[in-house]
Amino acid sequence: MRIDKRRYYHLDWYLIINGLMIFGIGLLNLVSATSSFSSGSYNFIIKQLIAFAAGLVLIAVIMYYDYRIIANQSRWIYVGGLLLVILVLIIGLAAGGAKRWISLFGFSIQPSEIMKPILVIFLANMLHEKKRQNLPLSLKDIGKPLLWTLIPFVLIVKQPDLGTGIVIILVCFAILWYVGLKRSTYAVIFGVGAISPFFAWNYLMKPYQKMRVLSFINIDADPAGFGYHAKQAIIAVGSGRFLGKGFMNGTQHKLQFIPEHHTDFIFTVFSEEWGFIGSVVLFALFISFINRCLKIAMNAHDELGSIMAFGIAAIIWVQFTINVMMAIHLAPVVGIPLPFISYGGSSLISMMISVGLLLNISTRRYMF
Amino acid sequence: MKDENLSSKYKWCTLVLVITMTVLLIRLWDLQIMRGSEMRKLSEQNRIRVKKIVAPRGIIYDRTGKVLADTRPSFNIYLTPEDIRDFSQTVDGLARLLACDREEIIEKMKAAGGMPPSFPIKIKSDIPMDEVARVEAHRVYIPGVSIQIEPKRNYPYGAAFAHVIGYVSEISDEELKDKKKYKDYSPGDYIGKYGLERSYENDLRGVDGEKRVEVDAIGREVRTLDVVDPIPGHSLHLNLDLDLQLTADKALETRKGAAVALNPKTGGVLVLASRPGFDPNLFASGISKQDWQKIALDKAHPLQNRAIQGGYPPGSTFKILTAMRALDLGIINERTTFTCGGGFAYGNRVFRCWKKGGHGTVSVHRAIVESCDVFFYNVGLRLGVDRIHEFGTIVGLGRATGIDLPNEQKGLLPSTEWKRKRYNQPWYEGETVSVAIGQGAVWLTPVQLAQLSSFVAADGKNFKPQIVNRIVSTEGKTVRTFEPVVNADVKFKPGVLKIVRDGMRGVVNEPGGTAGASRVQNVLMCGKTGTAQAGSDKVKLGDHAWFIAYAPAEDASIAMAILVEHGLHGSSAAAPIAKGLTEALFKVKTVIKEAKANENR
Repeated sequence: MRIDKRRYYHLDWYLIINGLMIFGIGLLNLVSATSSFSSGSYNFIIKQLIAFAAGLVLIAVIMYYDYRIIANQSRWIYVGGLLLVILVLIIGLAAGGAKRWISLFGFSIQPSEIMKPILVIFLANMLHEKKRQNLPLSLKDIGKPLLWTLIPFVLIVKQPDLGTGIVIILVCFAILWYVGLKRSTYAVIFGVGAISPFFAWNYLMKPYQKMRVLSFINIDADPAGFGYHAKQAIIAVGSGRFLGKGFMNGTQHKLQFIPEHHTDFIFTVFSEEWGFIGSVVLFALFISFINRCLKIAMNAHDELGSIMAFGIAAIIWVQFTINVMMAIHLAPVVGIPLPFISYGGSSLISMMISVGLLLNISTRRYMF
Repeated sequence: MKDENLSSKYKWCTLVLVITMTVLLIRLWDLQIMRGSEMRKLSEQNRIRVKKIVAPRGIIYDRTGKVLADTRPSFNIYLTPEDIRDFSQTVDGLARLLACDREEIIEKMKAAGGMPPSFPIKIKSDIPMDEVARVEAHRVYIPGVSIQIEPKRNYPYGAAFAHVIGYVSEISDEELKDKKKYKDYSPGDYIGKYGLERSYENDLRGVDGEKRVEVDAIGREVRTLDVVDPIPGHSLHLNLDLDLQLTADKALETRKGAAVALNPKTGGVLVLASRPGFDPNLFASGISKQDWQKIALDKAHPLQNRAIQGGYPPGSTFKILTAMRALDLGIINERTTFTCGGGFAYGNRVFRCWKKGGHGTVSVHRAIVESCDVFFYNVGLRLGVDRIHEFGTIVGLGRATGIDLPNEQKGLLPSTEWKRKRYNQPWYEGETVSVAIGQGAVWLTPVQLAQLSSFVAADGKNFKPQIVNRIVSTEGKTVRTFEPVVNADVKFKPGVLKIVRDGMRGVVNEPGGTAGASRVQNVLMCGKTGTAQAGSDKVKLGDHAWFIAYAPAEDASIAMAILVEHGLHGSSAAAPIAKGLTEALFKVKTVIKEAKANENR
């Protein structure tokens, strides 16, 4: 196997170091977040590190193949991902009322997480020709990409995993916007977008999901349930004040006032312990990382790479923003992990696959 | 690959990122900087609970140091409203685990409605071990529920001391409303409700401690932050004697009645028994509705302390009083005789003697020994009711003796003035005839008659009856000693008391004495029987049996009054109980002398 040395030379060290800093903070934070569990932090950290190692291997594999070759195979990758998502509905492991995981070689994985970068590759492959011709998409043109997004969306929401569903649908629209839309298409999308909440409320949403929205609007509507958790999350963040309570000193999560504080609500742990200062640093790292993804999209060798990189930037931005907003009661409670920070192997691996693609695109920006 | 289109998209993206950062930072600034202190306070309130450590109640000992009431650990279920997530889940879950009604739980929660939601409400007291295990195992599913180990009052002798020691029970809502008197109490606290537990509540209670603990979201204690230790209540050392009390209680167990025994030298109460009784332990562990109704609605009135609250005509025991007064005033002397033919005609009525054939010609000695009614009809008439009233009041009859128990009844010793005030009618001499032998309007409590007996035993002196001898702190320091308080000290003409005392000795120890069957070997017990008419002329009830006694004849160390409701005859129903007490006391005399030396009583 011959590896082109130029790739190392052109490796995007900014992205790598920025990513490692976020991951490092996440790992440290996880030690504190899981310290109150009876099994201790150790198991969680080891599992997270194993996922990280697996992610590194995947990055190497992804970087070995030109992203154009990967994109050529995208329909098979998409079909593979879709099969895994379908498999969840059949043989999935249930936890907390939802079937989201399947057991594979002794590891439980969450296919909906993996589906996110796959969909980005798939849509990029489908749309880059249009982008190259600089033709704004007509209503007819967006039908196909929407259809291929809605299939996994429906399957994932059925698990139910509303959070991931929301992420992929938003990312799909972001990519369509990035490729470019006709004015008429914008109008239709905004029109549909305006009425769909009413439709969803009346026909699609389950009672507990409605409760989450209601308790978002009025935090005291359900003081025993979601409202309680939202309130405790705010208290955790707010009680961190300017400097935070200090590493391992957070009381809200340690005393179990916040559910899922090592996964979806992990930001409350960080913010309680590191305060406003720590949160500003973390935000800056995320914004800088997303900005770097956008830079890669701008400087990519071709439209395919550009769309892929943008899609990944969109995933990270959507997850980061919704996750933090949920923790500080600016969004309803919805299960979306904070990239690189939340505990969960599938989420971390999905993020590292994305990083692999980004590095792939950025190293090949000068190649023809 | 750069073109106009792309850089425009990038500009839009940068704008979105700037907006994102701005919105998030504004919100964080609001939460962490503007409202940071408020949120920090909320998080502290979340995790810190102040838990009360109930002070162990003081122990109650008898005069020889035997434990009559103490505390033992018990497991109690508490519910903290603030920690409840799903009301139905917790309440129904708890109801199922404890096998009780959810209504009962809700009622308790309503009762504590005025307290802050972080205040734990006691739901059930003294639960058995298997319930402790069940609740502990299901705790995760019933957030808000906690189990606390607290001292619980324990009465090892149950009903035998129920009327004297009383009981503690949870403070009632009505009591709590009296914010001034019960300002140191909160719902779920125990308070003395009856007997000594109530009289000496302030000494026995102690001062509750406090523990600040860190709790997790379901109310489990994670660690203790600091502790203020409780100060245990003082213990009471009583004048009561365990063996004597048990003897009296056993004798009364199947009957209705009371027994009071005093130390004539000090007024210390050796025995104070009343039957029927109840098990005070039921109250201490939170009495159930059924148990309470069973006790409260019982026709035999087990909640009445007959020894201090039961009013009965004293019957012939009263003749002692009449005799003392008449002798002292010189109305009669040792040799004065009256002839008893079985009846005494006065006005248009014939007052009968209990002995149909009559006693013949009797002096005061025989009249006491054989309890001749006719003799005392004559004496009573010559004496007049007011002089009986005046003297009886000095001795302690017809007024509260001042015994250290709540709700003592005063009894009634009639006088012309009383009749005028009460009925606005003049006193008829015929009534004096009845009063002279302890019938008619006069009614007294057993403890008052024990005072009479004590008065005779101690040569015309008696003391306020006192159950508690001294109060001792946990460190063993005597906080307070109850010195004898003189109630009456009457100087008689020489010989007067000897005549009465000889008569009382004769009642038990002479042929023809009414209580001859209750003679005690080796100890000279002196006494006087009484058989008091119960009910009215219309409703005939069995007579009440009385016996007052003291022993030994000289330098007496016990003075008693025994009452058996509807016991028919003092000689057969009441006197044997006095005999039993005397025997029980003098068998253990050596021990008593030791105790006396220590107690200076």
